[in-house]
Amino acid sequence: MGGELRYEIGQSAYIKLVLHALKHKTSTVNGVLLGRFASHNEEVLEISEAVPLFHSQIALLPPLEIALLQIEEYFGVQGLSIVGYFHANERFDDRELCNVAKNVGDHISRYFPQAAVLLLDNMKLEALQSGKDGGPVMQLYTRDASKGWKPVVADGKSRFTLKEPSANVVLHDYIISEKWHDIVDFDDHLDDISKDWLNTELFK
Amino acid sequence: MVSKFDELELNKLENQVDNGGGGAWEYLCLVRKLKVRRSDKVLKHGLSILNDPNKRSNLGGDEWILYEQVAIAAMDTQCLDVAKECVKVLRKRFPDSKRVGRVEGMLLEAKGSWAEAEKAYSSFLEDNPLDQVIHKRRVAMAKAQGNTLEAIEWLNKYLEIFMADHDAWRELAEIYICLQMYKQAAFCYEELILAQPTVPLYHLSYADVLYTLGGSENLQTAKRYYASTIELSGGKNTRALFGICLCTSAIAQLTKGRNKEDRSSSDLQSLVATALEKDYKRRAPSKLPLLTSALRSLKLSS
Repeated sequence: MGGELRYEIGQSAYIKLVLHALKHKTSTVNGVLLGRFASHNEEVLEISEAVPLFHSQIALLPPLEIALLQIEEYFGVQGLSIVGYFHANERFDDRELCNVAKNVGDHISRYFPQAAVLLLDNMKLEALQSGKDGGPVMQLYTRDASKGWKPVVADGKSRFTLKEPSANVVLHDYIISEKWHDIVDFDDHLDDISKDWLNTELFK
Repeated sequence: MVSKFDELELNKLENQVDNGGGGAWEYLCLVRKLKVRRSDKVLKHGLSILNDPNKRSNLGGDEWILYEQVAIAAMDTQCLDVAKECVKVLRKRFPDSKRVGRVEGMLLEAKGSWAEAEKAYSSFLEDNPLDQVIHKRRVAMAKAQGNTLEAIEWLNKYLEIFMADHDAWRELAEIYICLQMYKQAAFCYEELILAQPTVPLYHLSYADVLYTLGGSENLQTAKRYYASTIELSGGKNTRALFGICLCTSAIAQLTKGRNKEDRSSSDLQSLVATALEKDYKRRAPSKLPLLTSALRSLKLSS
């Protein structure tokens, strides 16, 4: 293996996660990332799907366990594994990765050692809403040798990129049209099982 | 806490007003009554009334309540100019009011002038040591600045005086959960269940916390509280049904090799599984296969 692992997030997954955070501006939200290694290049991990999980009491186990069971079941058939975790803090200026996020990240790492944790970057998201595109509005964290979660610094060779370069443009449009009203998370599903946590109709 | 019925009614009204069908004042009153946080809508529709002199005079005395409501909504959506204007109007009309003083304190908070807000609130409390709203603003300020431990301290002090404030107990439980202090969260839910034993939400949250804590005794208790949630909610609570499955599976894992055959436990498990499958078949048929395999893997792991 040559260099370090790169992470690439697909538009559908990226937009779902950000819309979820925007729907619940006053809460912590989280989600699960699904993907696989790129077929042509084992040094790239493609995050092709995401499931928004919860917007309330995210540190409780039962809903998380039920969600992961069903998510693994559904996506396993398609050859996708749980490859990471997304987290958005409650407060605008909170840029730290909290313990709950680290714990879930650790749990996912047990089954997928190169798991990624993505933290919503509120400043970048705010800039995007005023039309400034600064790349993905998330901070990537990976586990280092000491098994701690460290932010990956954006330098010359970007380790975290958007698969589709126009993803931010599409996201910006969705924000303007308040598309976040339509997003469904696992919390919504548990409150009303007729709500589809796969969001299959979202982008139609 | 808003019931499903109330939420449906609120959403219906909101849709109506959003699409130009009128009813803005009824919507704003309902938002106030249910104490929900819909600040962007409140701001939009509230301003449409306040900026129209005819509509405003039709409100009579209620005009000032609306100014207060819009001011707070404006602060929540960071439209501080609007908030300032509303507060100015209120201050002019009620020059000595403590209630307006509270809103002014909140404006200081919204601007991020924490020290000034703290000063204002402290002096209020000197004159009115039993002002619940101001006590709660202190907790909110600590939370907003990320001083979660300080928020806990203030909230505990508040609850020593106002121990019947159920919302405060819930808030404290939720803060403890965020910090993964599950034992302390469990204590809060115990207080709530003692005070209001027929509210299923408290049983459910208590069960969730106990399951998260883990250990054989906690799991057994969690299972009992999931069961009581199901009973209190007429069997309609999906989370509680799943909770029973998780508990049964986890308990069986812990007692593996101890040859404990619990007929009643497996009966309960199959009842719950049947209930879940029936519900999914009716309301989410596309997800039924996922549910079935999830239940199967829980049984397998036991």
